[in-house]
Amino acid sequence: MCSSNSLYTNPKPCKHLADYKVKNGLCGYNLIQDSFRTTPYGKTTLELSKLETKPRCSICSGCCKGRLYMCLMCSSVVCCLSPESNHALLHSHNENGHEILVDVERGELYCSVCCDQVYDPDFDKAVMCKHLMGFSRIENGVEGSELRLSKRRRLSFGMDLDSKNMKRLFFRRDHKSKSCFPLGLRGLNNLGNTCFMNCVLQVLLHAPPLRNYFLGDRHNREICRKMSSDRLCLPCDIDLMFSAVFSGDRTPYSPARFLYSWWQHSENLATYEQQDAHEFFISMLDRIHDKEGKASLATKDNGDCQCIAHRAFYGLLRSDVTCASCGFTSTTHDPCMDISLDLSACNSNRKDFACKSSKPNESLIGCLDLFTRPEKLGSDQKLYCENCQEKQDALKQMSIKKLPLVLCFHIKRFEHSPTRKMSRKIDRHMQFPFSLDMKPYLASSIVRKRYGNRIFSFDNDESDVSTEFEIFAVVTHSGMLESGHYVTYLRLRNQWYKCDDAWITEVDEEVVRASQCYLMYYVQKMIYHKSCEDVSCQPMSLRADTFVPIAGCC
Amino acid sequence: RHSVNRPPTPDTRDDQEKEPTLKEIINIKLIESGEKERLMELLRERLVESGWKDEMKSLCREYIKKKGRNNVTIDDLVHVITPKGRGSIPDPIKAELLQRIRTFLVSAAL
Repeated sequence: MCSSNSLYTNPKPCKHLADYKVKNGLCGYNLIQDSFRTTPYGKTTLELSKLETKPRCSICSGCCKGRLYMCLMCSSVVCCLSPESNHALLHSHNENGHEILVDVERGELYCSVCCDQVYDPDFDKAVMCKHLMGFSRIENGVEGSELRLSKRRRLSFGMDLDSKNMKRLFFRRDHKSKSCFPLGLRGLNNLGNTCFMNCVLQVLLHAPPLRNYFLGDRHNREICRKMSSDRLCLPCDIDLMFSAVFSGDRTPYSPARFLYSWWQHSENLATYEQQDAHEFFISMLDRIHDKEGKASLATKDNGDCQCIAHRAFYGLLRSDVTCASCGFTSTTHDPCMDISLDLSACNSNRKDFACKSSKPNESLIGCLDLFTRPEKLGSDQKLYCENCQEKQDALKQMSIKKLPLVLCFHIKRFEHSPTRKMSRKIDRHMQFPFSLDMKPYLASSIVRKRYGNRIFSFDNDESDVSTEFEIFAVVTHSGMLESGHYVTYLRLRNQWYKCDDAWITEVDEEVVRASQCYLMYYVQKMIYHKSCEDVSCQPMSLRADTFVPIAGCC
Repeated sequence: RHSVNRPPTPDTRDDQEKEPTLKEIINIKLIESGEKERLMELLRERLVESGWKDEMKSLCREYIKKKGRNNVTIDDLVHVITPKGRGSIPDPIKAELLQRIRTFLVSAAL
């Protein structure tokens, strides 16, 4: 199944449209191009006359109140309100070859014989060109300010960090070990309110790119110690932890050394107080980048950084700000290592207009829809528009320009209100899928939808990148803001495991679905499936062999 | 022969050009002042915000799934969805628009 085209395939033209194109080419579109008007909100209409009165159907003079269409061949206006009256069809019967019309209100193509909307990329191009040409004297936001990212290897990153490089991997059989657990599952002792840390560590230990990197000896502690005078190296401590956790020893591990090292890096956080798992996650990535990123002289915002944190988590968000007055859009790109999402049902924009069927259920898809929805900025947030040369009301819309290998979603459950000097936790349950297709949230999909699903090619089309992801870890929080507990659920080879500090147990899907998710980690589907094959496919037997090669184990 | 059964020719048809109805006057005034366009935008915004548009979208999807993607035309959809749509506009939105129109009428001294 070809995923990249499943959501947006260009529909085939009907016979009548095809005939029309053969006979007339683009001249019909070009003739009316100047009459298109696109509002800042993306709605295109066909402005037939400068007169204030609405055009009327030439057959019934407006008595039928149907949708108005303009014939591309003769420019007469006809209406259609089927099944009661269909003057568009009547027109086609009267005039041969006059089957293709344009919906006046919507700027879309219609075939009166098929009685249906039809689609033509050339038509949409004519419509969009008109809209974008209006801003040609300024470098237009949509096409102009696209970041010229250097060509980064994408999937190949995940691919070359694979099991072939895992030279050091070995494990010892332990008689008392949980024989059916996959390699690398090891409890982490709580060292004093450190469940927030243990949770994130479990995720990083099993994030395929990181796991492959460290187990593949990409950060060699010996070499590191010789090369840098700086004794403090978080990646070294992480590497140590990987070795310990994947050693085959199933007794719970105490990441004391790692904790101490992390305290030294972040003095202000060196307490025994419960902390936020998300903050910890971000700080981990920062520390890894600080140490490894230096080598490549890359800055944090540069997409070319080769440190493992960036290679796994770096993504790019696109932000479009559209002037509500003239429609000029200015586009910026911001790097991101995770996506923080507001809970959608609690969103105040969705006013409770007694719309009875509005779903009260919270879901990740709902949150992503909210995240990428156009947002009208308040009138206290007027922005300067280059086209209008003054401050105007604006619309903002987010989308994803570049997807990372590992996608981390952070659900904003902890609400801090500076005015009330209060913090609270939102306990709403949120549904989330195990398989996720991010295609509708890509910049190309969002921009396309903005103009009413126009078919047009997008600069830097991301169609070659996979948009399908599989979940592999969920960090959940239970309890209250001050006194809660974090637990991680890991999905290894389609089996879920609950990692509650030192205790690892197999659990069913339902348990995970019912949990209160806080951080969710998805990895690109291909990498997920590959990593399922990589590590120890067979359960260990209880025999007393000491060394066993990875391939063909048991 | 038919004159017995035919209803009397309505007088208004001839007078239509000379005396527009109040409804038509209001409509023209709304369009001329640009208020109609603003009201349309406001209505669109409110319908999106309240989730009405999403609801209509899922109704359309349901219908298409039921009938089969290749057996549905835009005309079918419009015909089926229109009554449901009109019937499910939230009251607060209707009230808001009516209020805006009233305000406009007052200001246009009609």
